[in-house]
Amino acid sequence: MKEREIDEVLARAAKGAPAVSPALLESIADSIKPSMRPVRPMPPAWLLTAGLILIAAAVALAGAARAGFYGIERLTALERILIFPALVLLLWASAAEFVASKGPGSRRRIHPGVLLAISCLALMGVFAGVFRDYHTTHFVSAGIACLVAGLVHAIPVALLSWLLLRRGFAVNPVAAGAVAGTLAGLAGVAMLELHCPNFQMLHVLVWHTAVVPVAGAAGALLAWALQLRARFSER
Amino acid sequence: MSPDGNLEILMAAYQSGDFGAATVLIERLSPQLHRFFAGQFASRKDADDLLQETWLLIHKVRHTYRAGEPVMPWFYGIARHVRVNHYRKASRVALHEEQVETPSELPAPALETPGTTTEMAELLAPLPESQREVILLLKVAGMSLEEVARATSSTVGSVKQKAHRGYERLRERLAALGLSQGRRGGLS
Repeated sequence: MKEREIDEVLARAAKGAPAVSPALLESIADSIKPSMRPVRPMPPAWLLTAGLILIAAAVALAGAARAGFYGIERLTALERILIFPALVLLLWASAAEFVASKGPGSRRRIHPGVLLAISCLALMGVFAGVFRDYHTTHFVSAGIACLVAGLVHAIPVALLSWLLLRRGFAVNPVAAGAVAGTLAGLAGVAMLELHCPNFQMLHVLVWHTAVVPVAGAAGALLAWALQLRARFSER
Repeated sequence: MSPDGNLEILMAAYQSGDFGAATVLIERLSPQLHRFFAGQFASRKDADDLLQETWLLIHKVRHTYRAGEPVMPWFYGIARHVRVNHYRKASRVALHEEQVETPSELPAPALETPGTTTEMAELLAPLPESQREVILLLKVAGMSLEEVARATSSTVGSVKQKAHRGYERLRERLAALGLSQGRRGGLS
């Protein structure tokens, strides 16, 4: 059977579908009539994306300014060129995806899980290429301090981003939460790269990168919990 | 002007508070949204409820439509969200009710009322949900691959793959039913 023939069968089946009753259409129109008033459409996607990148950059810079720019001061020009443009690129991809996730029918370039995986792998690739100190002094204690610092800076980014896109509507809140977490986690990594003077390769590779999946998972989990709460309150 | 262009103008008018534009949109889009629901095991009553619920949500989030973006994926994205929520809610209710009666058995979610599914739903019954949805949007709603990808929050490649697999299954199904082109008007 050819594709065209299947199309014909589908078209015939569609024609046989029951018509919508005019009374139902009237009742729908009547139900929206009392709340009919002008609304302000969402700003363009590029503007919201730029806003999210600005939030991430501002929080990372403010955090590093408070704690000290020890990391970036120790980096060579080449290392800076490798690390920071990569972070900006990943931040841009996450911000664009977050904006898309808050608008029904928006073009999706990448699945949230794939975005998270690519972000982690890209960061690990850059860090493995840049840092050559293979010592592991105070691996866990220093690592946890960096992970916590990164996550602490991810929280305001997530909150401000959510605030910026509060008028949006996520058709898949868990996916939107994961993307928002990824974005916030990348801002946390940016803060660590500006601040952390510990250039041991394993430290940066494991603990700095870990901020992204932890924040991404936390974002998805939080969105799932909020969704669950909303469902229970519906009952 | 393209039909989508007309819809864009109507959406802009709807956003600026024009009730007439809202009524025209409801009249023009409801039949296809209803077919979308009815094609996925929803009974007539369920499809009516889903349609009503969809329009209420559309009204609530009408500001999220941006001028210049394709209109149909925006509508179907919301309709799909309503259907998924409805399916989850119905599954939970069915599970809860069944647990009260037979605690040891987990039932498959039952959404349809026997004898009320449409011919389209019967035809697409053997397909997994994702393939069924893509075929309905492509072939019944008449959307492009790009529009279906937007409506289902996926990529064009993924939509192509689902449509291909769905057609393979449909081909098998129609062959099993002994249905050849143009010879019979229905499935039964």
